[in-house]
Amino acid sequence: MEKIAAAVRERAKRALATGEVDRVFAWKRGEFWYDVTPAVFETADETDELLWDSFCVANLSKYLTGAVRQGFKVGVFVKGCDALAFNQLLQDNRISRENVRLFGLPCPGMVDPEKLKKAKRYRGVRAVARAGDVLALQGKHGEQQVEAPAYLYDKCLVCRHPNPVVYDELLAEPQPVRTPDSDRFALVNELEAMSAEEKFLFWQEQFDKCIRCNACRNICPACSCEKCIFDNGESGVAAKANADSCEEQFFHLIRAYHVAGRCVDCGECSRVCPAGIPLHLLNRKIIKDIQAIYGDYEAGLDPNVPAPLATYRLDDADPFDGHQKGGKK
Amino acid sequence: MLLEEKTSQEQAFEPLIVAFCCNWCSYAGADLAGTSRLQYPANVKIIKVPCSCRVNPNFVLRAFQKGADGVVIAGCHPGDCHYSTGNYFTRRRFTLLMNMLDFIGIEKERFTVDWISAAEGSKFAAVMNGVLEKVHKLGPNRKMRDKRWKR
Repeated sequence: MEKIAAAVRERAKRALATGEVDRVFAWKRGEFWYDVTPAVFETADETDELLWDSFCVANLSKYLTGAVRQGFKVGVFVKGCDALAFNQLLQDNRISRENVRLFGLPCPGMVDPEKLKKAKRYRGVRAVARAGDVLALQGKHGEQQVEAPAYLYDKCLVCRHPNPVVYDELLAEPQPVRTPDSDRFALVNELEAMSAEEKFLFWQEQFDKCIRCNACRNICPACSCEKCIFDNGESGVAAKANADSCEEQFFHLIRAYHVAGRCVDCGECSRVCPAGIPLHLLNRKIIKDIQAIYGDYEAGLDPNVPAPLATYRLDDADPFDGHQKGGKK
Repeated sequence: MLLEEKTSQEQAFEPLIVAFCCNWCSYAGADLAGTSRLQYPANVKIIKVPCSCRVNPNFVLRAFQKGADGVVIAGCHPGDCHYSTGNYFTRRRFTLLMNMLDFIGIEKERFTVDWISAAEGSKFAAVMNGVLEKVHKLGPNRKMRDKRWKR
């Protein structure tokens, strides 16, 4: 991974030095070894800070909306899920393809610091190196080698597109697609099988944790409206009312619904949630329904295929015609 | 449980149904039900919308929050939309919303979508009676109620 990181840095430096792009969106080190933060690079000199490691999980595509609107030509690094997000933004007319230079990065799956913490691998670590599926945790007292898959984000374990589906140039060898231990809809199925009471209790417990920080909305590449219903003070749902669980219910249902058919299932919403609400399950439920009822559709694969909720078919399934009276057959 | 709350529950439960009716078919269907002197419950509050696809999922959730025990969306039969295609979109949108409500544990029976033409006064009455009966069995909707809301 270090070799690729050097190539990534080199490519960014060249792109900025030759004036190929005005900005490069990439990642740089945050405060801690597991803390990698999205960063904007404007000059070739700055790119020394640029990095590509096992913690570059943040999706950079969404940041494009602002920069491209300002007329900058932007170079951006995309992993598999970021590329899906890019396509989705393209389909939603949020960015223009010609102003963006896409550097594809096949992704081996990103490491979840929380999982390292839970496995008590966290203490004393200063840096993490990676070769294939082996993580080397370098600490004060030497190096510890662990298997990477055990510490990857859950969303990376069920990843369908480790390689970007769209790019201008690919900076590394494509990654093989992991065979997941379980279907990505396994938890959705489990929840569906519960009784209404159980489902309600489960979700109420989850929604009650919500602090309405809007992180899930802000990170979401499908949530790209410039004006959001939840920013409208008049809407009555703009902020948290502590006494009222219904506001959270409303927020989460509508948030998931607004990205119906456009959610690329990148799982960022659940990752950024400070309260640990499994928001992606709501989105996956919709994805599952869309696939079951309206046929195979994967948001972000091809920006030219219309989204399922933006189109219809005359012979769509009709769960509402229980009476079978009247109307055209 | 507070005494006050208990006594109010023991009183006969009168469900409140909010029906979003499309201007061109279902609202006229409701009119026909009225002029034909068909019996349907007074618990149904009709909100006229230009087309069933005008109904935003927000409206449905809001209705539940603000006191509805059941919500009905009624539109023209697919193929008969005054705006040609509106109800095809309704069909897709609310199929998903219905499944979603079920997924978070709201009883499916509380939310109904049906196609009622302007000539189907009797169907309008039948649908409303059916919904009321189902909601009556389920009891008051507490799951989505805004606690600030007082009936």
